[in-house]
Amino acid sequence: MYLAQSFLHSLIAALIVDTALLAWKIEAPVIRQRFRLLVIVLPIISFPLYQLMTPERGSALFRLDAFFDMARWLDLELWGKVPAGVLFLLFLVFTAVVFVLQEMLPIAQHTLSSGEGALNGVSPEPESRVTHALEGIPGRKPEVFIIDDDSFAMFSSTGKEPTVYLSGGLVEKLTLDELRAAIAHEIGHIQRSRRPAMVVIFILRVLMFYNPIALMEFRRIIQEEEKICDDVASSITGDPAALAGALRKFYDADNADPALPPEDAPRLRDRIEEYSHTLLIEERITRLEEPASPAVNTSVVYLVVLMTILAVNYYVV
Amino acid sequence: MKRILGGMLVFSTMIAILTGLLQLLNWIPSAVQDGAFQRYASIDEVRAHLKIHTVYAPVYYPRTVQWPPSLIAAQTRPYPAVVTEFVKSDDSGETILVITQTALPHPPLVEKLRLTAIRESVSYEFKGRTALLEVGVCRRDEQCCRITWNEENVGIALVMRSSPVELVRVAESMVTRSREAGHPDESSGKEREAPETRN
Repeated sequence: MYLAQSFLHSLIAALIVDTALLAWKIEAPVIRQRFRLLVIVLPIISFPLYQLMTPERGSALFRLDAFFDMARWLDLELWGKVPAGVLFLLFLVFTAVVFVLQEMLPIAQHTLSSGEGALNGVSPEPESRVTHALEGIPGRKPEVFIIDDDSFAMFSSTGKEPTVYLSGGLVEKLTLDELRAAIAHEIGHIQRSRRPAMVVIFILRVLMFYNPIALMEFRRIIQEEEKICDDVASSITGDPAALAGALRKFYDADNADPALPPEDAPRLRDRIEEYSHTLLIEERITRLEEPASPAVNTSVVYLVVLMTILAVNYYVV
Repeated sequence: MKRILGGMLVFSTMIAILTGLLQLLNWIPSAVQDGAFQRYASIDEVRAHLKIHTVYAPVYYPRTVQWPPSLIAAQTRPYPAVVTEFVKSDDSGETILVITQTALPHPPLVEKLRLTAIRESVSYEFKGRTALLEVGVCRRDEQCCRITWNEENVGIALVMRSSPVELVRVAESMVTRSREAGHPDESSGKEREAPETRN
């Protein structure tokens, strides 16, 4: 029953959060990320919290008056034989398997292989464009390595010695300002990786491995994280248009080969991932190029959303 | 301020729609298949709607128990069960007696009155039946008692905020004949309109 309730509670929390973000037109990614955290955190604690408040919450009478009683659906017999609860359980198992294969296995493989052969990157030359780009960035700068690769790629590693990796193709195609903005974006990731909150969120997401809503919401949190790092980059360089320009080149590189021969066409799953990635880049470019609407006082809104989620979910058993 | 209030209006409307949708989804299983747990106006309605022919009900109720029951609810999915609740005659907000009848081997449905601590537990024989009588406390440390026994293919449980003496009298009035070898007992299948009360 805990599994079913936490799934339902996270679904309802996700709907309420999305409604609030739309109703109050909340655009700041930092604020949006805080709201989305409610979808991951609250369902873990809501069931035990409610049971502590009201031990008879599981009683037949309480369920009669609830907004929604999951047992009614789980007890339905499909085709007169199969309880719907069995199908629901299979659905959760399927989600757990997808999570392990798609998320945890690659992380485990990467962790195991990262010690085997470090990325072969070279430090930029003293008079290179990368060095000039770095000069325009204030404060402590991470190590930067250039990888011998013609594709558009950029990522960072965090930890005691944070490092930014840029592909040769990217260095060649971006202007100096765009390169500076791209590096500043990665610096944003490095700075934010030091916050324990993201580690806690990752742990919570692993705990909710069976819950597709939590997994989807985690992805949206990561998307907001990208936008937060865009804002960090804009504040470091003072030039959001440069980052928008760099992203536009990423976007163009992603969509460079629309008509591949069938044997080279990516799998459906990869195409869906690419489409999602493309949508995110478009959103980020639009955000950077348009002025932000004035912020609303979100403390009150946050409290209202939190109380609404707790109140509605109390009557969902 | 205008934006907050405007957002509040939109948000409230959407939440009202969400709760309405939840309640609609909650209703669908009972519309599609019979037998979901729901309220009924009388025991006869339970019998007619769910085809549960044998519903055990007491003939004796103490003065402290208000008639008719404040709740009659029943299900046949996932297994047959009937619940009747009674409130105090001088306080209709307080449940004083809960009777559950559940198809074996399932445990009694979780109900409003629960023993939070059991002080004494004894085997009690009545009319050829062996029941388990437990004396303890409910929430707020009120004295509560529970008696449970099996009757043919159902388990019967009574929980009452009272002394065990009253509870046992109520339980004994639910079965009219002794259970003897070769004599199947009758069940009190009819709902009494005017219950008998004794001091």
